[in-house]
This record gives sequence, C-alpha cells and structure tokens, in this order.
Amino acid sequence: MISLEAVSLRKVYGSRTVLADVSLALAQGEFVSLLGPSGCGKTTLLRLVAGFERPDGGQVRLDGRDIIGVPAAKRNMGMVFQAYSLFPNMTAEENVGFGLRVRGEATEARRKRSREMLELVALGEHMHKYPHQLSGGQQQRVALARALAIRPALLLLDEPLSALDARVRVQLRDEIRRIQREIGVAALFVTHDQEEALSISDRVAVMEHGRIAQLGEPAAIYEEPESLFVARFVGQMAEFDAEVDGGGVRIAGHTLPAARAAGHAPGQRVHFFLRPEHVRLVEPAAGLPGLVESRTFNGPTTTFRILLEGAGRVLATVPTVEARHAPGETVGITWDPSAPRILKLDGGAPPPDA
Amino acid sequence: MKWLWVPLAGYFALPLVATAVLSLWQGTRGYGFAAYVTLIHTPEMWNSLFLSARLAVETIIAGLVILVPAVFWMNLRLQRLRPVFDFLSVLPLVVPAISLVAGITAIYTGPDWLVGTANFLVIPYVILALPFTYRALDVGMRALDLRTLTEAAQSLGASWPSMIMRVLVPNLITALLGAALLTITIVIGEFTFANILLFNTFAVYINHIGSTSATQAAALSLLAFLLTWLAMLGVALGGRRAAR
Repeated sequence: MISLEAVSLRKVYGSRTVLADVSLALAQGEFVSLLGPSGCGKTTLLRLVAGFERPDGGQVRLDGRDIIGVPAAKRNMGMVFQAYSLFPNMTAEENVGFGLRVRGEATEARRKRSREMLELVALGEHMHKYPHQLSGGQQQRVALARALAIRPALLLLDEPLSALDARVRVQLRDEIRRIQREIGVAALFVTHDQEEALSISDRVAVMEHGRIAQLGEPAAIYEEPESLFVARFVGQMAEFDAEVDGGGVRIAGHTLPAARAAGHAPGQRVHFFLRPEHVRLVEPAAGLPGLVESRTFNGPTTTFRILLEGAGRVLATVPTVEARHAPGETVGITWDPSAPRILKLDGGAPPPDA
Repeated sequence: MKWLWVPLAGYFALPLVATAVLSLWQGTRGYGFAAYVTLIHTPEMWNSLFLSARLAVETIIAGLVILVPAVFWMNLRLQRLRPVFDFLSVLPLVVPAISLVAGITAIYTGPDWLVGTANFLVIPYVILALPFTYRALDVGMRALDLRTLTEAAQSLGASWPSMIMRVLVPNLITALLGAALLTITIVIGEFTFANILLFNTFAVYINHIGSTSATQAAALSLLAFLLTWLAMLGVALGGRRAAR
C-alpha cells in the first residue's frame, strides 16, 4: 500500500527551478533515500513533503489524501533535523513529550510514551538531562525519539547524521534503520553521503538539477547506473571514451572485453565505465599493460592508480593481502567481461564538478 | 600598564566619594544621615519613585509585546529587512530627545487616560528603550537556531502562539531579562520628556530637590546610581547563569 505519494512536484525560486516535475511514491514501511549533490533539490523535496514550503505545482498525497493545503503542524510527520533542533530549555524527556503535550495528551500517558521512546533509542537513563549535557549522537537519538513519539504517518530525516563523527554516524545509521523497521513507519531520508544512502535504504532516488535521475534499489543504483550523472556520482569509476567493436570496445587501439557493448551498434562512440573493485592485476602480457603510478593503503584494501598508455588512468582496488605491486612497476589489468558499464554519449547531462 | 589603574579608578571613584561626603554633610552639626532620613519621610519622593517604577513596568510590557514577535519574524522570515531594523533601532539615539518630545506632543492626541496622565510617557519611553530592547532580543534570538527550532515545533504539531510561549520565550529569558533591566534604568533616569510634559517622575524629583536641598539631592543621586548598578548587576548575573 502506498503511504506517501509526490506527484509532479515543482518548485521555483525566482528564476531558478529547484524541483522540476518530481514524482515519488513510498510504500508502507519503506525506507527511501534522496541522494544527490548540494543544490540538487533533495532538501526542498523533503521540505515540501513536511509542509515547510509550498510547491508551485503538483501534489503531495498521504495515505491517498491530498495534503498540500494542510499546514506543517497538522501533517503528523515526525522530522529529524541536521542538528540543534532539541529545545534547549527542556530535558530529553520533555523534548520527547512535546508533541504529545501540544496535542493535549494527559501527563501520565505522555510520560509513559516519552520513556518508552527513550528506551527505544537506548537513552532511558539520560531522560532528565538537558540537550547541552548530551553528546551530538545522543541529541540526535532524542530527536529521533521525539519524532516517533507522536506516532507519525511518515518519518522525515534531513541529513540527521551529517554533523556527527564517523563512528557515531555508522552506529546511529544502523540504529535508525532498525528502529524504523521495528515501528514499520515509512521514512524519507535526505543525504549527500552515498554510502549512507546505499547501506540503509530499500530504494534510493539519485537527484540531479531538480529531477530524479534514477530511482531503484541500492544494488541497482550502484551496478546499473542509467545515466552519465549517476555513473559519475555514485562510487568511483574509471571512465574512457570508447568505440563499440563487436562483443567489446576499442580504447586507444586495444580491443577490450565488455559484454554490455553487444547492445550497441558497432562503431558507435560510447562511454566505458569500470569500477576499481572489478579491476584485476595480472602479468603485463596477460592483460592490458599499464604503469603503477601510486599505491594507497585503505586498511582491508589497497588502491593502485594505473596509467594506461594513450587511454588515461584507472583505479584498481584489491585486497591488501594480495597487493604486491609497487609504484613504477608495469602490470597488466583485466576484468570480468560483464563488469564494465557502457553508456551512450548522450546518456544524461554531465554532473557539476563533483 | 598597572599604574594606569590609579588615575582611572580615581576618575570614576572621586565624584562618587565626593557626592557621598556631601550627602552626609549636616552643616554645623557635622556629618550624619539627616538628608537620607528627611528623604525617606518625604511622600513626594516615594510618589515619584513609584510613578517611575510603574512607567518602567508598563514600558517593559509594551516594548516586549511589540518587539518579541517583530524581531522573531524578522529573524525567521525577513532577514533581508535586517538593515532597516538596525537603522530604525538606532534612530532614538541619534534624534535628540527634545525634538522627539516636540514631535510626539504635536502628533499624539487621544483619550484622557492616555494623554491626560503619565501613561502618555510610555510611548516615548518605548521608543527610547527601543535600541536596547531590540539589541538584547536580536542577540538572544541569533544565539538560537530559530528556524530549526520553529520547524521542529511545527512538525510536532505546535501552533504559532504555542511555539512562542513554550519554546521561544523560555529560551530567551536572559535576553528578556536584559531588555527589562535596561529599560528600567532608562525609565528611572529619563528627565527631558517627563519634565517638559510636567510629570513628577523620579528624575524630575531629583532635579527639583537639587534646587532646594543640595545634600538631599546628593543622597538621592547616590541612591539612583545604586539602583542603576543593581539593575546592571542583574543583567550580568542573569547572563552568567544562562551561560552555564
């Protein structure tokens, strides 16, 4: 069943179109991320859904009902903000109970609900603390508990993890997902961090210049980018201009394996994308020869930057235990023919400098 | 640089000490508290003090009721009007009180309870206190992430009045206190308006007593000075408590 439905939403600020005809539907209990560079319209979309902004066109439906005319205070959506959204004059418990208080719920019921929610985010023992006595991660947990306390029809998350440090971010990210599943509320999550989006979402909407460039499951977004923008924005890829040549492509005089080239007409100019983890390093004679320019240690993996004569550079990420090469060495590179992604030259607009 | 403190302290302390000595002078009967005793037993002094206190309270209420929503809205939605607000807020400091009073008496006519009584003074006093009230509120509100707090309250179902009373005002206590205390010191010390409009406020009484009894005037000035300092101390302490 559909929970939230945005239909042809448009938003214009002066001469700038921030959202151009965006449609998106969330199923009951679904977790959807809006991913994109800053200025792509993801936050605006969230704010239109929340009721903080009015669209210049289109509809927002919640459980089948059009809610464009409904003010934010009456939409019953729980929202978690980037940071500093807790009321400084109230304890954690009072913060969580605020939504119920303005709804006129009885004190006892309110306290009980607040405590339950704080237990849910594992902050039961901190309920009498004020926001300034809590760490950034704890504050965001309280904010989550507060958003959920009102039994929202939809949970809105506006980059709630961006102000936290890396460890807390990963921890809280998984916790948000666990709690959201437990409660079964649909959630719309805005982020510019692709790892975040890919790791916790049921579906990801990659946004570009006020449009949804691609909407799909995280694996599909990563493995099967449909446009140049998505291919370049999500993850790292080596990119070459190539020419379709039978079952492969020609790059700088070499014919290289690429199963997906079969779908394109021979001789057509295309973009050839290859992810670092798909590149295998072999003896120079056994693959496309290249020169190791640099070697970066990432912990479990090691990344080599390899210069291919006449074609450009490619990154190769291999398990550190298998990383034997040193800068200055000549290696051969090879890959599974099904790995490269081939996109037509006009496959979407180029991204802004990212 | 240490030696600089000596003349500086003397510069500030000497007039106070001299005023204190004069207030204790009893002519041929040496030194004592006679001036203070006489003052305490003068009903006119108390009347003027109570009048000024009442005007201060009225000015605070009127000023805050107008300015809290205005500064809130400016900070939330009308940031581009900030220069206009800033300019307006310093006008009372630039325009001499005498031209204000001339202008205001010419413009304001109205019901007797307002124009015929000292309540009339609240209007110019709100204007006089404007620079300080505006600054205090603006600083207080800028310290809060107003937009996020407002939107958080809204998304939780709070109406505007509920948001202002339950979230905004409690978080602005220090700013409100600062604005209130500064207003008190301004109203207690204001002379020009009250004198020209013939109301017997505290400052007018001090001036009056100055022309009849030098020692009582000195005593009263010292008390007024003390009152002002207590108000300032209140602002400082309130600020420190909120900064904990």
